[in-house]
Amino acid sequence: MLDKYHCLSKLASARRDGDVVVTTMSVAMPWAELSDTALDFASVDSAMGHAADLAYGLALARPERRVLCLNGDGSTLMCLGTLVTMAQGGAANYSLIITENGTYEVTGNQPVPGAGVVDYAAMARAAGLREVHTIDDPDDFHRKLPLHFEVQGPAVFIWRIEQGGEPVPRPARPIRDRAHELRAALAG
Amino acid sequence: MRSAPIVAELKKQGVTHVVGLPDNGSRALFEILWADDELEVIGVTREGEAFAVASGLYLGGVTPVVIIQNTGFLETGDAFRGTAYNMGLPLVMLVGYRGFQSMSPGAERVDTAATFFEPTLKAWDIPYSVLGDGGDERARVAWAFDLARERSLPSAVLLTGTTE
Repeated sequence: MLDKYHCLSKLASARRDGDVVVTTMSVAMPWAELSDTALDFASVDSAMGHAADLAYGLALARPERRVLCLNGDGSTLMCLGTLVTMAQGGAANYSLIITENGTYEVTGNQPVPGAGVVDYAAMARAAGLREVHTIDDPDDFHRKLPLHFEVQGPAVFIWRIEQGGEPVPRPARPIRDRAHELRAALAG
Repeated sequence: MRSAPIVAELKKQGVTHVVGLPDNGSRALFEILWADDELEVIGVTREGEAFAVASGLYLGGVTPVVIIQNTGFLETGDAFRGTAYNMGLPLVMLVGYRGFQSMSPGAERVDTAATFFEPTLKAWDIPYSVLGDGGDERARVAWAFDLARERSLPSAVLLTGTTE
């Protein structure tokens, strides 16, 4: 099992200028403490389960930038078809990270359907994706960290993380403002 | 309903990407779009995805349009609300109006995909224009883009017939 906070810290350290990071749910606020630039977008107060496809659209629009999305397993289950959409449409610059802890963390760690049974890597491969990596120990995480930024996507990384206790994320500013700031930053 | 003027107006409005899912009415339109090298068509597995992908495209600096049917539109509530609407994006959607004829007097069966449709558009604060066979395809598409930009919010054109 991985420690979410350790992995996020290492990801933030490895991130390059110009990379876009989309977060949601239990990762949004911990990530905001590590990085809160105009290229960090918390898909919060937004649409349930639609961070991965939003980020996919960003990746298609900006092929010169790496776009990473940190999505939970519960959020992934809400729009599984996105794996197929990604596989069909491509996007070499897109890395989807599924943080798998088997629970809806921000609502009190209720189990997600199929917790401990669903094989997200197998589903991603069956959807047609080729770059799929499951990571569940710290040594493997450190070895594969560079791949998150370098691999020819669309890529899926499944982080098997310990259960946590993050509350419901509450960004300080409305999503409308944050969205338009992201667009302006990408235009600049 | 003619596809060629619709596509011409989409290009005039600067559209770069078409995100959606075809239905019987939009089949001919999609076939033209797929064959057009200037526009990229992104197929999605469910209509809610279309709003999220299109919103990401817009935030990335390009100009998407969404093309779906009203049945799928009715499924998109949270995706539409949480992306394009809450983000305040001038996103135009072309939505096939399944069941439009079923609302005519004397129709044998009323299609709830049709009767639920316009009340839902109004509830979701989506201004719309109904496109029939009147030959005004370009004007109605242009109206939707103008209004979306003016409000910085989504707008819609409803396709009541079959594109050719």
